[in-house]
Amino acid sequence: MKKLLALLLALVMCCALLVGCGGNNNAAANDTAGDAATDDSAAGDAESVTYALSETPVSLSISWWGGDSRHSAYQDAIAAFVEATPSVEEVTVDFGAWSGWEDKMSTYFASGTAADVCQVNWNWLTSYSSQGQTFVDLNGLSEFLDLTQFDENALAQCTVAGALQCIPAAMTGRIFYWNSETFEKVGVAIPTTYEELIAAGQAFAEFEDGSYYPVALGEYDRMILMVYYLESIYGKDWVVDGALNYSEEEIIEGLEFIQSLEDNHVTPTVQQILGDGAESLDKNPKWMDGRYAGIFEWDSSASKFHGSLNNPDAFVVGDELGEGGFTKVSLGLAITKTCEHPAEAALLIDYLLNGDGAAIMGSQLGIPLSKSGLEAAGEAVDALTAEANSKVLATCTNALDPKFEDSSLKASDGVYYDVMSGLSYGDYSIEEAAQILIEGIEGVL
Amino acid sequence: MGMKAQHRIATFFKYLVLILVGLVMIYPLLWMVSATFKENNEIFAGISLWIKNPTLQGYKDALNDYGGSINILTAMLNTYSYVIPKVICTVVSSAIAAYGFGRFNFVGKKVLFSIMISTLFLPQVVLNVPQFMLYNSLGWVDSPFYLAIWFHTLFATETYFVYQLIQFMRSIPIDLDEAAKIDGCNSFKILYKIICPMLMPALVSCALFQFMWSCNDFMGPLLYVATPTKYPMSIFVKLSMDADVGFSWNRVLALSLISILPQLIVFFAAQDQFVEGISAGGVKG
Amino acid sequence: MKNSVPQVQGRSPARKWLDNNLGLIYILPWIIGFCVFKAYPFGLSLFYSFTDMNFFNGISQYGIMNYIEIFNTAKITKALTVTAQYCLITVPLKLAFALFIAYILNFNIKFVNAFRTAYYVPSILGGSVAIAVLWKALFRDEGMVNTLLSYIGVQGPSWLSDPDYALFIICFLRIWQFGSAMVLFLAALKGVPADVYEAATIDGAGKWKQFFSITVPMITPVIFYNLVTQICQAFQEFNGPYIITNGGPRNSTTLVSLLVYRYAFQQNEMGMASAIAWVMFIICAALTIIAFTSQKKWVYYSDER
Repeated sequence: MKKLLALLLALVMCCALLVGCGGNNNAAANDTAGDAATDDSAAGDAESVTYALSETPVSLSISWWGGDSRHSAYQDAIAAFVEATPSVEEVTVDFGAWSGWEDKMSTYFASGTAADVCQVNWNWLTSYSSQGQTFVDLNGLSEFLDLTQFDENALAQCTVAGALQCIPAAMTGRIFYWNSETFEKVGVAIPTTYEELIAAGQAFAEFEDGSYYPVALGEYDRMILMVYYLESIYGKDWVVDGALNYSEEEIIEGLEFIQSLEDNHVTPTVQQILGDGAESLDKNPKWMDGRYAGIFEWDSSASKFHGSLNNPDAFVVGDELGEGGFTKVSLGLAITKTCEHPAEAALLIDYLLNGDGAAIMGSQLGIPLSKSGLEAAGEAVDALTAEANSKVLATCTNALDPKFEDSSLKASDGVYYDVMSGLSYGDYSIEEAAQILIEGIEGVL
Repeated sequence: MGMKAQHRIATFFKYLVLILVGLVMIYPLLWMVSATFKENNEIFAGISLWIKNPTLQGYKDALNDYGGSINILTAMLNTYSYVIPKVICTVVSSAIAAYGFGRFNFVGKKVLFSIMISTLFLPQVVLNVPQFMLYNSLGWVDSPFYLAIWFHTLFATETYFVYQLIQFMRSIPIDLDEAAKIDGCNSFKILYKIICPMLMPALVSCALFQFMWSCNDFMGPLLYVATPTKYPMSIFVKLSMDADVGFSWNRVLALSLISILPQLIVFFAAQDQFVEGISAGGVKG
Repeated sequence: MKNSVPQVQGRSPARKWLDNNLGLIYILPWIIGFCVFKAYPFGLSLFYSFTDMNFFNGISQYGIMNYIEIFNTAKITKALTVTAQYCLITVPLKLAFALFIAYILNFNIKFVNAFRTAYYVPSILGGSVAIAVLWKALFRDEGMVNTLLSYIGVQGPSWLSDPDYALFIICFLRIWQFGSAMVLFLAALKGVPADVYEAATIDGAGKWKQFFSITVPMITPVIFYNLVTQICQAFQEFNGPYIITNGGPRNSTTLVSLLVYRYAFQQNEMGMASAIAWVMFIICAALTIIAFTSQKKWVYYSDER
């Protein structure tokens, strides 16, 4: 059929036609760029604003991510807040699971449709509000929100572009959790130093068919562990003043340590963990039944990993293996620039973190950083999480640069994953891996 | 006789191949059905369909709310609240466009027709980014009515169906139109009085295909639905894989099965239309 | 064609023109839809591909830097290679399978409808998330497939985590959906007149010879149609890699559409994403054009006018 031949012609024509169209679109695209610029300039004059409570009751909105227990804690606390606050008649909520949440919120931030109060990840401040364009400077709201309850260093970590953009709910760091049952079966003591960890790996290798491992480390876990390891040796922060603070030799040393974990049967390879077909380690059947006897995770996730064990009684919060490692703001609450009632929104944050709401929230956002919040939470704080948190805060004293969690590094196709899985799969030598890691990090800083 | 024996062997092998391939096609689905009734540790213990300890736990868990805001029923309702408009709009708009192309002469018809056909080969990936920007500027991202997902089908943008309907229309004798015209019917009346009834099987098959494809669509909702309470089935099933604590395959598989159940029912109820649709529209030269 | 209706005297020229071009009114919605939802985005994406368009920061730079970066970024060239592999594996295998099964089904087989249904169900459901979830369950290290292999004494590979095998399961998912192509072939085969075969049998041609020298040439239009549509579809596969392997391990299943998604909607680099999409489009268009130009050589249309 000739018509079919005409298609070819049409295809080519279509291209040509539309290449022509391309020019007309300049205007539209420039508009978008222009919008972004306006946002930036608006950030500048925010300081002069003074806030007051509205005279008529207002409605607020709040959004968060988390699991079921966090959802119900928030909902209860918000209901209590509305009850206790005459100037707020309603708080609408929007919540979901973490996966995909950041993508969604990034769209909202860009289109200015985010909720009044948002639970934010720490690195969002730099990702979405590096010029202070997305979140309100909370220093101006101290009348409604008691900032003296928070550690000043933590507040400083949340200050971006000279504005306090979120209130940190908790500080968090990584720690080992162990399955004591498996360690007893294998006949090794739970490791307290890096040397003992390696030794445990060798003992596990000889146990049964070698399918037991002392600890399961995913790609990102390896990256963080490497930083902890290096910081425990050298004692200096990973990134200082926007520059990587470790030399190539030092990073090679860190990667060699990670490689030695695999070589000594301390951790299964990335491939083995992937092959288990679980979305994450807490859903990995081998963690649940004890074949992976340890995990290196945030202190705030203690209860999640505790709950997923077939034998929860065997769950032990380990000790840090060395003096070093970083803590970071686990998450915070921020008020968006599009919020019409910042004063009431500040009251809500104060209620959740400092006030009676903290008692309901318990340790759902981590162990409360707020002094009065921790007091109010009292019994509601999960004991395991509190134990993990106190161990982390006691030993991990290094600071973290927010760019550490930049999505081009941390995402599942980011640099950390590439380096750690490339090393594990044998695609990269340690030197190559160090090279790629340094280039990747310097590209972001 | 050698000839006869040979024939028998050939026939035997034909059936053998057909059955073996058929097993590969169907067994995973049957296994899925049986796994939904198994206990977690039994699912991967063997490949048999036999259920030693039948349990409905998977289904019970599947019906639970997820994240406190959405459950499988709302997800299903959400899915159909954009699938149905999409199907209706596609069929109506495609039929009108096909009528225009199939029954009229007008200036630039050849060029327009060629352009239309060439969009058959235009990959959606190329359009995704600007379409997203467009919908974003219209405020349709996360629209409560899923506008970004179905609105464009009002304008016959699903070229495949327009093309199929044009092919079908060729088989309807033009004499009928001419006769109706002499009887004083205007062109629109001809469309819905004469053409549409004749075209019914084709329209049904278009509707069926669009139904299946829209139910399967994942990227659309992934880009344009953000509010958990508005999640459709496809996103809901994906999310169920990273639920809070633990991981039970029977729950996930039960959810998956429920999600495709309506499609399966529609397919078995209308499989002849599918086959007819796919074979008749395809190629006529 | 059929607009030879007698013209009514005394109508305005505009009205007359409209009467002669009535069809335009019917295709008007399509024209609008094409311009707004196809042509405009199409042109815009070409334009974006020459900018550093970012969803949050807009455009600050113009030029061909994206295209240069594409060919200097291992991740992207890998995605292009993987996509090419994916097409090269799935398109021929899917067509071969479909044709082979259709050919067998065409021999007075009993229960043709039952078989046809069995083969067709996967193509209806194959694109759904549910089937992707099922695939993950089947190909886990301890999944059904490896259990099956262990029965015959084979230690199955780590399908999901071994870069050498992961692409295979994504390919298999597509080949598994050969049903729709098969139904098309079956219809075409039924259209081959029986007397052609009879003549060939008398001439002493064997079944295989008949297949290649009679059947295949007679149905080349359908083969051609399937070929072109399959190529176009293969380039767009997204659900499988996104849900089953998330592009991994080691990016061995990151097809271009997944990569574009990541650049555009996870890293917000719309410019780069558009450029990658355009490189893919050009490859896809080139293949389509090759197919169309080559059809003169091998596609036989019985109703050639």
